[in-house]
Amino acid sequence: MDLNLSPEDRAFRDQARAWFQRNVPRAELKTLEERRAWHRTMYDAGYVGMGWPTEYGGRGATPMQQAIAADEMARANAPAPINGLGVGFIGPTIIIHGTPEQKQRYLRKILTAEEMWCQLYSEPNSGSDLASLRTRAEDRGDHFLVNGQKIWTSGGHIADWGILLARSDPGVAKHKGISCFLFDMRQPGVEVRPLKQITGSSEFNEVFMTNARAEKRDLIGRLGQGWEIAQTTLGFERGGNSMARVTRYASAFDRLVDAAKKIERGGKPLLEDPVVRAKLGNVYAEMEVQRYAALRVLSALQKGASPGAASSITKLSYSEFEKRYYELCLEILGPYGQVTDGGLEETTLDVDSSSGVRSSWAYAFLWARAGTIYSGSSEIQKNVIGERVLGLPKEIRADRVAKA
Amino acid sequence: MDFSFSSDQQLLKNSARAFLDEHVKPAQVRLLWDDPRGESEALWKEMAQLGWLGLALPEDAGGSALGLVETAILQEELGRAACPSPYLSTVLAAMAIDRFGSPAQKSRWLPAVAGGGARATVALMERALDWSPQSIETRAEERGGKVALSGVKQFVPWAHVADVILVPALSGSTPAVYVVEASAPGVSVTPLTTLDPGTRVAQVTLDGAAVAAEAKLPADALAFLLQRGAVGAAAEMLGAARRCLDMAVEYAKVREQFGQPIGSFQAIRHKCAEMLLEVENSHAATYYAAWALASGAEDGALAASVAKSYVSDASRKVCGDAIQVHGGIGFTWEYDLHLYFKRAKALEPLYGDAEHHRELIVRRVAS
Ligand SMILES: Cc1cc2nc3c(=O)[nH]c(=O)nc-3n(C[C@H](O)[C@H](O)[C@H](O)COP(=O)(O)OP(=O)(O)OC[C@H]3O[C@@H](n4cnc5c(N)ncnc54)[C@H](O)[C@@H]3O)c2cc1C
Repeated sequence: MDLNLSPEDRAFRDQARAWFQRNVPRAELKTLEERRAWHRTMYDAGYVGMGWPTEYGGRGATPMQQAIAADEMARANAPAPINGLGVGFIGPTIIIHGTPEQKQRYLRKILTAEEMWCQLYSEPNSGSDLASLRTRAEDRGDHFLVNGQKIWTSGGHIADWGILLARSDPGVAKHKGISCFLFDMRQPGVEVRPLKQITGSSEFNEVFMTNARAEKRDLIGRLGQGWEIAQTTLGFERGGNSMARVTRYASAFDRLVDAAKKIERGGKPLLEDPVVRAKLGNVYAEMEVQRYAALRVLSALQKGASPGAASSITKLSYSEFEKRYYELCLEILGPYGQVTDGGLEETTLDVDSSSGVRSSWAYAFLWARAGTIYSGSSEIQKNVIGERVLGLPKEIRADRVAKA
Repeated sequence: MDFSFSSDQQLLKNSARAFLDEHVKPAQVRLLWDDPRGESEALWKEMAQLGWLGLALPEDAGGSALGLVETAILQEELGRAACPSPYLSTVLAAMAIDRFGSPAQKSRWLPAVAGGGARATVALMERALDWSPQSIETRAEERGGKVALSGVKQFVPWAHVADVILVPALSGSTPAVYVVEASAPGVSVTPLTTLDPGTRVAQVTLDGAAVAAEAKLPADALAFLLQRGAVGAAAEMLGAARRCLDMAVEYAKVREQFGQPIGSFQAIRHKCAEMLLEVENSHAATYYAAWALASGAEDGALAASVAKSYVSDASRKVCGDAIQVHGGIGFTWEYDLHLYFKRAKALEPLYGDAEHHRELIVRRVAS
């Protein structure tokens, strides 16, 4: 056991730190084009898609180096890269399951964010039970005809392409009849309607597909292999960036302490209140434990272990922590924590949230509700941990009984 | 960066597990619970032979010069066995003498500890239930070339079997840690009966107890003892919690109600998943802290406070939930769960409770 960085990793960290300090944009990035330009700058410097093999435009970086870069990015308060779903898991899916033509056509433009991507999985009636999805993809000889509705599609309103799960064979067991496509979002027959979230912003959407086309060449893997492909790719969604996440929590903690010095209760700064101090100590300890746990996961990844079902523990742990964390911040800040504009400077501006957006405490608090729902809700994670990590018996489920 | 145990560390863990499974079964633990001394001389001698007592002590004192990570590994296994033993307090005191003591103190105590001939403890608590140097009431007064100690120390682990007690006291307003032989005149030990008969504590009264003027360690030893004691206690609590989790999961697989194993009910399965999460986080917290202190990392003291406060809460929850998963059988004296439940609970107030460590954290990060 040795938690020191290796000399190479330390050198890499120093280099990344210096680069971000020099290059991080001074002004807020407002438009998509400004964010794309910043993304491009990071890409050119080698900080986007670092884990991708070099032949596809990455640098084949180790998990440790990826984590270091993400961490330095957070430390420098750098705006996050865009096209996160594309770079984080749709690209890697194409690398594993795609044809040479698909790799040639799509990969580079994912990395450079020339083409933006979204994930078309969830449907109004198929969320946790994703395999029950009903969007149809009918084989029409030269193409597939797509009809159905997706929902909660993050970035759907700015996406050029989506990775789509649709039912290609309604006649077989539900997991077996699903196929996976690369799907053109800019075609007639695709309508995207933004949904307003509890944060007040609109980052996710409804997507209606009416006689839309998926080309034959854009089928990933075999027909009917979609579920299997979705399983391998969901694994990419959880994992390596948890150190950077804690760095963002830590930067929010510093803001919290600043505010607790300014805000008074009973004629004394909050920071002198023993109850507040106990809460601060408690939440700081939890935050540090998230960091230690992230290091532990990273050390396993670094050794080539695949996190598998154990990544459910990480996801459950940080998303539930994040909820408690911002709840506690707002509890300590009282009414100041709820101000989104005006009021004390310490309590309104520039708080980090795990969405990568720097905004108000209220925004971070609201956004924290998402983490325990997306990428498999906490309840689903506990099912996975119970069944696949602890080996507890499977629950009796109506759909399994019916098929048996 | 590598968070996993080295092969030597893994070997140590496996051999400790094998030894304790064989020699410290729940039945033996129960015998020691009923024993007036509460621990076994034979077991202590075996620990010495296995090299456990000198694990972190220098080789010239008969030790193996290993570090805090290895010590934590053993302590986790001892907690897992709910082994009644003055191991933690003895090793802790010996590490402080090794770090801060004079050559004479070292040669007097370290070989004796490593060889199984001496037990030691640390008297960190007083009436104020605060572990800060400012709240120490015990006084050290110069009297004819010697020092006389007066005061009352509370909840001193295993004081009734200790040969030497480390006693923080103030001389004027200067704190120091005095090395007091338990047999010295003026030292009296009153054992208490508490919730966990496997973690004995006693009140130690110093009534002008005389020690040589040089029989002391510098004030820095105080923080050292609190930090390393905190990590040791966290490791034992982690062991107890892991044992409870394992028992709960095994039980949930075999116990049937309503025609199915109770582990297939989400209320039980989800509880087990949460317990695992707490245990894994406790593992990360404990070993991070052990490594950070051992390697002199700048956040070592902070990490020790994080570990003690986090694992105290986590282990209480995990051990308690294990009782819930078991239902009525978990509430019986005959069933072994309460051995571990009580061990975890008993360590909560020792070496700084969660409240105190949270305050230490805030002092470090929010000044
Ligand atoms: C911010 C955000 C962004 C998202 N982005 C995308 C995206 O880009 N693309 C995409 O495809 N989807 C996306 N999603 C959708 C997300 O994956 C789903 O919301 C999620 O899978 C849950 O499905 P659901 O909303 O239908 O809830 P349901 O599945 O209906 O769940 C409702 C409740 O029932 C519980 N539940 C369900 N099944 C079980 C069970 N077996 N045992 C115990 N409890 C159970 C759930 O835990 C939950 O508490 C996003 C969601 C959010 C919040």
